Amino acid sequence: MSAPDTFARTAGRREGRANHEQAVRLNVEQASYAYSASEQSVPTFTLGTTSFQAREREIVAILGPNASGKSTLLRLITGTIAPLSGRVELDGEETNRLDVKTRAQRIAVVHQESPIVYPALAGDFVLQGRFPYGRALRFANPEDIEIARNALAQVGGEHLSKRTIGELSGGEKQRVILARALAQQPRLILLDEPTLHLDIGAQVELLERLRQLAQENRYTVVVVTHELGLAAEFADQVVLLHHGRCLRVGPPAAVYQKELLEQVFDAPLDVELGPAGRPRVNLRARRGEDIT
Amino acid sequence: MRLVFLARLFYFYGRNSTLMAFESIPSTPNRLNAEFWRHRLAVFCARIAVLFLILCAGAIAGQTSVAHTALPAGRELTDEVGRKVQIPQEVDRVVSLAPNLTEIVFALGDGNHLAGDTDYCDYPEEAAQKPHVGGPVNPNLEEIVSLMPDLVLATKSINRRETVNALDHIGLPVYVTDPHSVEEMIASVEHLGSALGAEKSAAILAEDLRGRLSDLDRRLAGGAPRRVLFVVWTDPLISVGRGTFIADALRRAGGRSVVETKAEWPHVSLEEIVRLQPEVLVFASAHAGDTQRDIDALRTRPGWKNLQAMQHGNIVVVSDAINRPAPRMVDAIERLARALHPEAFTLPAAPAADSNPAISDSMMEEACACAR
Amino acid sequence: MRPLTMKRLLWTCGGLAVLLLASVVLALKLGAVPISVTDLVLDLGRIAIGRANELPTEYRLIVFDLRLPRVLLGILVGAALSVAGASFQALLRNPLADPYVLGVSSGAALGSILALMIAPEFALITPLGAFLGAIATIAGVYFLGSREGQLESTTLLLGGIICASFFSAIIMFLTTQLTGRDLRGIVFWLMGDLSTPVSAGMQWIFTVGLIVGIGAIYSTSADLNLLLTGEREATHLGVDVTRVKLVVYVSASLLTALAVSVSGAIGYVGLLVPHAVRLIFGSDYRLLIPASALCGAIAIVLADTLARTIVPPTELPVGAMTAMAGAPVFIYLLRRGLR
Repeated sequence: MSAPDTFARTAGRREGRANHEQAVRLNVEQASYAYSASEQSVPTFTLGTTSFQAREREIVAILGPNASGKSTLLRLITGTIAPLSGRVELDGEETNRLDVKTRAQRIAVVHQESPIVYPALAGDFVLQGRFPYGRALRFANPEDIEIARNALAQVGGEHLSKRTIGELSGGEKQRVILARALAQQPRLILLDEPTLHLDIGAQVELLERLRQLAQENRYTVVVVTHELGLAAEFADQVVLLHHGRCLRVGPPAAVYQKELLEQVFDAPLDVELGPAGRPRVNLRARRGEDIT
Repeated sequence: MRLVFLARLFYFYGRNSTLMAFESIPSTPNRLNAEFWRHRLAVFCARIAVLFLILCAGAIAGQTSVAHTALPAGRELTDEVGRKVQIPQEVDRVVSLAPNLTEIVFALGDGNHLAGDTDYCDYPEEAAQKPHVGGPVNPNLEEIVSLMPDLVLATKSINRRETVNALDHIGLPVYVTDPHSVEEMIASVEHLGSALGAEKSAAILAEDLRGRLSDLDRRLAGGAPRRVLFVVWTDPLISVGRGTFIADALRRAGGRSVVETKAEWPHVSLEEIVRLQPEVLVFASAHAGDTQRDIDALRTRPGWKNLQAMQHGNIVVVSDAINRPAPRMVDAIERLARALHPEAFTLPAAPAADSNPAISDSMMEEACACAR
Repeated sequence: MRPLTMKRLLWTCGGLAVLLLASVVLALKLGAVPISVTDLVLDLGRIAIGRANELPTEYRLIVFDLRLPRVLLGILVGAALSVAGASFQALLRNPLADPYVLGVSSGAALGSILALMIAPEFALITPLGAFLGAIATIAGVYFLGSREGQLESTTLLLGGIICASFFSAIIMFLTTQLTGRDLRGIVFWLMGDLSTPVSAGMQWIFTVGLIVGIGAIYSTSADLNLLLTGEREATHLGVDVTRVKLVVYVSASLLTALAVSVSGAIGYVGLLVPHAVRLIFGSDYRLLIPASALCGAIAIVLADTLARTIVPPTELPVGAMTAMAGAPVFIYLLRRGLR
């Protein structure tokens, strides 16, 4: 049973509810977490209660400086850890209760670059995304190959399929990794700091592609980032984290308040509203001059 | 039982490979499709190859060992390590796996029955001409089998347990000796004589050896044993423990090793030896000239030069026959006895056999001109 | 490399199996006593149809009591070590991993030495002691290397190395206490030696253990492909990482324990055969596992034949042969770039 079929079914079920508005797909409700070395000792890091909701075709940015709890929130969403309080639900099911296979069919995660021990062809790499749908030794059937090829095409990487991962540039590698995530035919795509090793052009290209894919394939996209500008430009919702506390959730214009951002990022900033209602952030040197 | 197991293995394997094979075949195979048939052929070939290997395994498991049927009725002896050995009545071909056993076989007059020995069997000269089966520690089992021996001789101190087990496994009778003293060595001679059917020559030889030893005992009866260090190796310093036949040989020669440990070849510290100050240093060697040079080199080394025995030149070099529990050992014991207690040998003694003469620096050997 | 299909898998394995067959025939043919191939085939046929008694005695002894069991043991040991090596390389995500990196061989050596000291007269004591020592090491390193029930690669590696060093030190101490005769046996064992015939019962145990072990690892081979890209990534792609790591760890250690208890610590095979197979066939574990098993078997059979025939009539231990051949192969692979 391929993913498009399941889509149709669940979509049909939901028709009974709200036809005119898109249903909530990702529901993070008062979720919190605490890391501690052992049961008795004081927690070393806590993520305070966080709540937000994301729908189909939405891009949510989880924004915050380093050590603000973004990774923890990410792991709560993927279901790798169970929340201490509250719930994280994807289409009504708690993510940490799902078994690994089902989770992989619903959620795709794009990580930062990890060292590849044994290089493989890009085409094979993308095929790995079909793992959750196969059984036994998972020899690729024509359907899988078709889906993988489609995924590569959607990221504009068809010409890369015969190349080895090792010889790709940063941007191309990012595309292939994204294609693998698409091959999983997920409902939710999570990206963890995807723009770290990319130059500006590639960064913009990636986010534009994500927006386009989210629209076409009805994904929900959650991006963890500390890039203020990109989040403002591309996100439909922003979750602002600071030292493990969720300070604000909402559309960029609502979250990007000068005092709030200055406090969180500990840098002098100016916020102005650009055309199309999206805020723009400018850095200001301590002396008061503009550095753009 | 095994057949049932094999059958189930085949079935399981066949079912598995069929399932795996058809996982990626389209749901409606077109029997005219060449692709399909090549695929089938591939599966078939792979399966045949593996089945053949399983068949080999089955063949091995199903075989019976040959020698249990081929061996004619013989005698059952118990060897020196307690194993029961079935030996045929007539022992025509013998393979020896240790140099001392080869010497004993020749001493018993059975040299012509020796079908094979080791690379290290150098005494007597005929032994070196016999077909070799390799070293005592890792002989070539196939060579041994191809010589078709009626009996294989081994000794616990040199040969490996695994070799004896392997020969057992094939069904070749192995007699294992394990002498720890000079008397036990003579007993080995008698045991081997009875195993080889040479009881008479064994008895004569044993009597002769015992006679010479008791003669030695009489001569040495009055004196106190000299304190001796037997040097097996110099770097590191290795001597002999009290359970070895070398230690026993020293005792019979009127000496006493200053090293008293349970371990057979103990590493001893030079400092300890300097503290103990043995009266005589004994070296064993096949090549007297080389050893003399080595000893000269030792004189100036720290530790060694503090030994009174070294300073006074109380050094005896005996032939390496003392290392082998064989009849020649008694010759070496006699020589050593003369060197340690020359005063006991003022009367003419029995002639010595034809081994390397002992060399000593200030202890003169009573070269008995009348004996030659 | 082209993507793997079932057809390519079967063809490759079939070809390698044929090569293995050729090596077996060569091994049976060569030796101190030469045997002709046609005779061999005819005799195998005679045995198969039950007319074993018609063969000349010492010929049958040599080929079927000495060489064939030895060759079969070589196949089992070669397959076990190569698969274990490939598995550890995936488990630890380290191309330098070999079957002994987690201390199994040192534990087995210690076990067999202790067994020899306690009950030297019992014939089966060495393999039994070795196996028990290996099992104890596997359990010990598991507890050292697991955190909250998860096997962590770095900790596992460290735990294994610590155990290996510790046991080696104890072994060195014990060898000074052992008497000369037993020491000789241990030295051969430590180098890896196939010349000791193994009883039929142990052969069956080994064969069954091999099939079970390789089967278990093979069932996770698709997971291993993903595990190599990183544990986090593999989890998010649907791999049950905890289960896979446990299955692979236990099975690979079991295979190593079996191999080491019958033949001692034969080196280099577990490390180099998987790399050589990767160079030729690619790193897809669905092909790597069976191909390594077959190539490892071929390597050991050929090395053992060489060890038996190169300096007649002496037999060199197999481990010496693999070390001598392994070092130049290793250097070559390093220069090609371990892939």
